[in-house]
Amino acid sequence: MRGTPEHELVERCRNGDETAFRELVEQYKGLVFAIMARSVAEPARAEELAQEAFLRVHQGLPYFRGEARLSTWIYRIVANLLAQERPDLATVSLDATFDDSDEPRVQPGADDRAFGDMMLRDRLDKAIRRLPVPYQVLVNGHYLKGLRYEDLAEALNMPMGTVKTHLHRAKRQLRHLLETEFR
Amino acid sequence: MRCEELEPIIEGLADGTADPGAEARAHLAGCALCTRRGSQARAIHELLVRREAPAPPPGFTAGVMARVQRQRWRAERAVDLGFNLAVAAGVLLIVAGGVGLAWSLGLLRIQANLAVLLEAGARLGGRVAPQAQTIGVAGLLLTMALGLWWWAEADSSF
Ligand SMILES: [Zn+2]
Repeated sequence: MRGTPEHELVERCRNGDETAFRELVEQYKGLVFAIMARSVAEPARAEELAQEAFLRVHQGLPYFRGEARLSTWIYRIVANLLAQERPDLATVSLDATFDDSDEPRVQPGADDRAFGDMMLRDRLDKAIRRLPVPYQVLVNGHYLKGLRYEDLAEALNMPMGTVKTHLHRAKRQLRHLLETEFR
Repeated sequence: MRCEELEPIIEGLADGTADPGAEARAHLAGCALCTRRGSQARAIHELLVRREAPAPPPGFTAGVMARVQRQRWRAERAVDLGFNLAVAAGVLLIVAGGVGLAWSLGLLRIQANLAVLLEAGARLGGRVAPQAQTIGVAGLLLTMALGLWWWAEADSSF
């Protein structure tokens, strides 16, 4: 990551250095905003939530002791804010096996327009917003690059070894949603 | 191998992070349903890879900094309010002490009658003089409270 080393930046922020906090915002705003905007359809609300995330960072910095990486802590704040925004999608049972009754009865050669037309991107966006929030953050964070498996695991309180499995489950749910509700 | 056994690992096959094994590969080669699921999963994966990250609007950082300032201002106002209340309570305490002192000296028995009050006013000086020490301490307390207030004001507005 470019710019000032993390611990130095945190220290300067803690001492009330406004330039340092501005630098911190500049450094993380891309990922924070992107994750919010991917999960919240309304752009103004996404911006408000992304700003709120940095406000919480600012409030929490005096208590941030550096046990976690700064980025991990920020993504956890983002995930918590999104969970508050969508309480109906706040959790996913981490050891639940996928319910196979959701499996659409697709026959070979059936109408494949769900995956064939130009609107797929749009429907994919909508389908992602229907996933449990941790899965939204997982899929969006993973594909936005910049977020490592370790960051995602820590931010979402998932055991490191299960991140890949959950990513597959999230995408499997997406495939099922696109087959059934977002055709 | 049955389709249902292969279905949960389709995503891993599509993004290249899982090795299906020979049996699964053989099934895939001859199964239209699994092949179709695989191509759907691949389409999703590829679209996710290609999607561009939404960029924050130009005034984003300025907006965050403005909200931080507002928040700080609100916190300062709360501190100020607390301080003002404390000072007011201190002043009230000093006044009450003075009134109590006057009462104990018998000065408050001269109520109502204006002429007597004026006359008593003249006598007040002489009677209060011995209490100069108490009044001095009260004054010092008030000055300290105001000084502390001024210091807090100056310190919190960096
Ligand atoms: Zn099959």
